Amino acid sequence: MRHRAILLHGCDNVATALTDLKAGEGVVVDREGRALAVTLHDDIPFGHKFALSDIAAGEEVRKFGLPIGRALAVIRAGEWVHVHNCRSERWGYYNDRFGTRA
Amino acid sequence: MEILGYLRPDGQIGIRNKVAIIYTTHCALVVAEKIHRLFPEHTQVYGVPGGCAYREGPANKVVALGKHSQYGGVLVVGLGCEGTEAHALAGRIAESGKPVEAIVVNQLGGDLKTIEAGARIMLRLLQHTSQAKRVAMTPADLIVGAECGGSDATSGLASNPAVGYAADLLIDAGGTYMHSEVSELMGCAEILAARAVDEQVAREIREAIHEEERACFAEGRFSWGHGNALGGLTTIEEKSYGALAKSGSKPLQGLLRTFERPPRPGYWIQIGEPGSGTFHGDPEGVNQRAACGAHLALFTTGCGSTTGGLVPVIKIVANPKRRQLILDNADIDASPIILRFQDGGWRIALPFIDNYMEDDINALQQRTPSRARSDFRLGASAPMPPI
Repeated sequence: MRHRAILLHGCDNVATALTDLKAGEGVVVDREGRALAVTLHDDIPFGHKFALSDIAAGEEVRKFGLPIGRALAVIRAGEWVHVHNCRSERWGYYNDRFGTRA
Repeated sequence: MEILGYLRPDGQIGIRNKVAIIYTTHCALVVAEKIHRLFPEHTQVYGVPGGCAYREGPANKVVALGKHSQYGGVLVVGLGCEGTEAHALAGRIAESGKPVEAIVVNQLGGDLKTIEAGARIMLRLLQHTSQAKRVAMTPADLIVGAECGGSDATSGLASNPAVGYAADLLIDAGGTYMHSEVSELMGCAEILAARAVDEQVAREIREAIHEEERACFAEGRFSWGHGNALGGLTTIEEKSYGALAKSGSKPLQGLLRTFERPPRPGYWIQIGEPGSGTFHGDPEGVNQRAACGAHLALFTTGCGSTTGGLVPVIKIVANPKRRQLILDNADIDASPIILRFQDGGWRIALPFIDNYMEDDINALQQRTPSRARSDFRLGASAPMPPI
């Protein structure tokens, strides 16, 4: 089986695309030996992230098993997670000014 | 592994054998550059940016670089009226025991006389340097620095973990490894404190990271560019965890202040670098590692980076979509790591969380050395005048 996305840590709530993915595609991610299926709501470019489960507004977004920021609004499973809906705990205002909608 | 190095009078062993030409003000840069052009393969030129005033930081930096193991001799070129006095600077570098000479344009009468005098001195210095004693080096003699530039999602996925893995191998063999870029360690304070050899080092790294965070806020400088976001990175924390992967998994021995040499082997973090990538760019970062004694630098990039430094730079690219970058600028193509993820061959975790990459590292294809890069000038913000 080709892996089209990778989960870096068992407690992460986002996975990283290993190739360009299209909205509507079903993607299967390996979570500690168990297959986790997600249907994508957005196009996910290579290297970008999508939610594996629903993330509440204000909830931590976790990658590498570590918090990379907080959700600005509810993020549904399969949605693109990036500067439009996730903010650094530290330099959020910088992203507000210069964050790039990739 | 054994390589033949060049023994210096202070006991350091160099992996290259060159002569440095150091200008003490921008006003002497063109003359220094012209001397360098007579011996382009065997000399490197750099110096103190700026004009009249003496500034301790840049002066200390060129002194530290002049003492670097890759130089068998040094020529200092001054104009004559600047605060950074050429003979005084030469005297400080000469403490290393290597031959150091100084020439001053205003004392010799002008550029042509100085270029001639410099060329004749250079013949002597090169002859002396060519007779450096060759001694066998092992990895235990090596000091390796790391730098990243143009990070994207592949940096934290593949190229930085690969460098971290290499750092672990080097340290297992008795070698020394260092990185810096504290502005890209946001959120990593407790992870690194847990790796510190003792409580004091743990306290120091926590304070260094928190101080850098405060300074970034206060000065409005951030190690962040829109290319990071285009490449899939969303926050500075995410970029930082990826950057931390290049640290490997060995205990943190301590912090190196600016231009301080590591007192013993192992893993070190250099601090006091004013936000590489934000103010001075990555070549300055590579040279900061060199000023702390690094023989060479491992340099990862995802978006793309073509910069070099005064010491050899090994560029590592893992983004399989950047084929042209890999072909033109990478020394090591680490994109097979991403391909292995697609095959499900590796279940990744970052080295500081869990040891991964039990597979051999031969998946990394070593490429032929890329084009020589010595594009660096101290104070790179000031453009080179036409010559």
